[in-house]
Formats: sequence, structure tokens, C-alpha cells
Amino acid sequence: MNDERNKERLAASQGETTLDIDMDLLVGYILLIGVSVSLVLVLAALIWRWRETGRVEFDYQITGMNFFEFLVTEIRLAVHGSLRPRLLLSLGIIALMLTPFLRVLASMLYFMVALRNWKYSVFTAFVLAVLTYSLFLR
Amino acid sequence: MSGMGGGIVIIPMLTLLGVDIKHAIAISILSVIATSSGSASAYIRDHITNLKVGMFLEMFTIVGALAGAKITLAISPKPLYIAFGLVLLGSWLALLLARHTMWHTGAQDRFTQWLELEGSYPDQALGEVVHYKARRAYFGAPLMFGAGLIAGLLGIGAGAVKVLIHDLVMGLPPKVSTTTSNMIIGVTALAGTSVYLVAGLISPQLAAPVILGIALGAFLGTRLLVRMTNQAVRTFFLIVLLILAVEMIVRGMRGGI
Repeated sequence: MNDERNKERLAASQGETTLDIDMDLLVGYILLIGVSVSLVLVLAALIWRWRETGRVEFDYQITGMNFFEFLVTEIRLAVHGSLRPRLLLSLGIIALMLTPFLRVLASMLYFMVALRNWKYSVFTAFVLAVLTYSLFLR
Repeated sequence: MSGMGGGIVIIPMLTLLGVDIKHAIAISILSVIATSSGSASAYIRDHITNLKVGMFLEMFTIVGALAGAKITLAISPKPLYIAFGLVLLGSWLALLLARHTMWHTGAQDRFTQWLELEGSYPDQALGEVVHYKARRAYFGAPLMFGAGLIAGLLGIGAGAVKVLIHDLVMGLPPKVSTTTSNMIIGVTALAGTSVYLVAGLISPQLAAPVILGIALGAFLGTRLLVRMTNQAVRTFFLIVLLILAVEMIVRGMRGGI
């Protein structure tokens, strides 16, 4: 009985080790891809703007919108096919802000599903809840 | 770079170029997401970052960042300059005094043990795997709320403050503390950025060049840190912090211009 439990524990801890490494890679790549997408969009926006107008300045403002309103506005513009430098820049900012958010989401799912570590599931859920609240701030 | 988000450099530069300090803070904290996430990505994949330490402490920094950003929106610019200078000087002094304390693994208290805050990482400079156990999480956590507050308030990653807490209070090895700080900064900066976005302080025109420029710098810094010894990382910190502290305090005394 004890032997079996120990074996289970051993298997679990070994499982944890392999998964831990996967987690590092997963989180690492989420951050890398998020930031890269954002940088490419911002760079593309600047180049496009420069080729169109000879200037790299943008004269629009983001006012009176929280993140999700900003997101919805820009996605609506994208769907309507009005792809412009300004939209690329906005999407770049959106991708940047979504990057840490997705990282926390992935960590939470990992602690919940793969590790079944309730302590850290609660911790990451709290972080995710506060972040979500902040993105909906008025 | 070295656990610092780069905001500490960007804000003095932008204000010198005539940008209003609150706009500078807002853009800086947005760009901090890029630098910290970009460099954190490499450290995490190299297995140096401690995800559990990061996730635990983030609970405190994000709440602090929300409060800090709200305060900045409410107050006048002058105290912001002075606070900026003081934070820099404080970090520098504390680091200077701690210069000779070598890192060693110590006894772990029950609370920190319950939090499972320990780990190991492969050290390229030493050529071996370093094992460590964190301690005093009960003390580190409220201090991290303060670090988050400073980050939100001044639009910086406040990496230097976070690194100090990791080093001096929680007993993490220097490389683990800088890289874990880096990961925490990204999430903390997002909380601050949301507040500034709603306030209309995120100017896309400023955001574009700042994000690109700072990301390039951070990328180069990261490649360097992995190859440096712990002592070299510390020395580098000392020099950068001193220069910036002197600069901001002089500017604060001139009346925040």
C-alpha cells in the first residue's frame, strides 16, 4: 500500500519535472511571440506611414476607452477592411498588452490542469482576475 | 536589461525632449511590457527564472501598480520628479551597502516552504547547477506591493527595487532575482498601462518609436547578462543607478523642468 503510494508520488514528481520544462518553454514562447508580433506591427505601421506621407508621426489619440473598448473598435475597423498604418499601430499596442495577460492565463491553466497545484491555481487566478478588472477599468 | 525595464532611462529622456511627465510615464510603462517580456522570454527558456516566486509576488505588485497609477493621475508633476530621484538614490544606496554580501542558501521558514519557493538553475558562468531555497516570503510580499506601487506611480519596471527585495529579503541568487523580477515587471506594467490607457495618456505617436527603440536595447542587454558573472551584474547596476539618480535629483532641485 505504502509502496504503491510512493510509486505514484515518484511518478507524479517525475511528471512534474518534465512538465516544468515544457512550462518554461511554453511561457517563454508566449512572451517571445507576443512581443515579436507587436514589434513587427509597430514597425510595419511606421514604414507604411512613412512611405505614404513621408512622415512617421501619427496624429490620433486613444481617449475615453478602456482596453476592451479599444480592442473592439480596432477589430471592427480591421473587419471593415480599412487597413491603415494607424490600425497596425493600434494592433501592435493591443498585442503588446495581451502578451502578459496570455502568459498569466497559460500559467493558470498549467497549474490547474497539468500540475493540479491548487495553491498556485488560486494565486494565478487572482492575478488574472485583477488584470481582467484593470483592462475593464473606467 | 539586468532586471530593469528601461523606463528609468526613457522617462528622463522623454521629459528632456519636452514631453509632459505623465505622458512620459504612460508611454514608459507600456514599453516596459515589451522589454521585460522580451528579455524574460529568454531567461525563462534558459530555466533561470523561478515561475512560482514570480506568480506569488505578482499578486502583490499588480495591486500596487493599480494604486500607484491612480495616484499619478491625481497629483501634480513636481512630486513625481522628486519621487523619481529618491527611488533611484535609495536603490543605489541599498545596493552599495549590500555589495559585499555574498549569496548563500539559508534556512527556510515554514511559510515560504508552504509556498514551495525553491529551485535550481544552470549557471553558465560557474558551469554548474545552483540549488537554492527562498525565505521570508511573508516579508517580501508586502514589500513587493510597495515595488508595484512605485512601478505604477513612476511608470518604471522598478526592477532595481524588486531585485533588492529578492536579494536581501528573500535570499534568491542574483541571477534568479534579476530574471524573476523581469517576469514580474511585465504583468505589473500591464496593470499600470490599463489605468493610463483609460486616462487617454497613451499617445500612439510616442508609443511607436519608444517601443521599437527600447526593445532593441533590451534585446542586446539580455544576450550580455547570461554571459556575465553575478559580480559583474552588480557592478553594472551600481554605475547605472548612480548616474541616473544624480541626474534626476539635479532636475528635481531645478523645480521639475
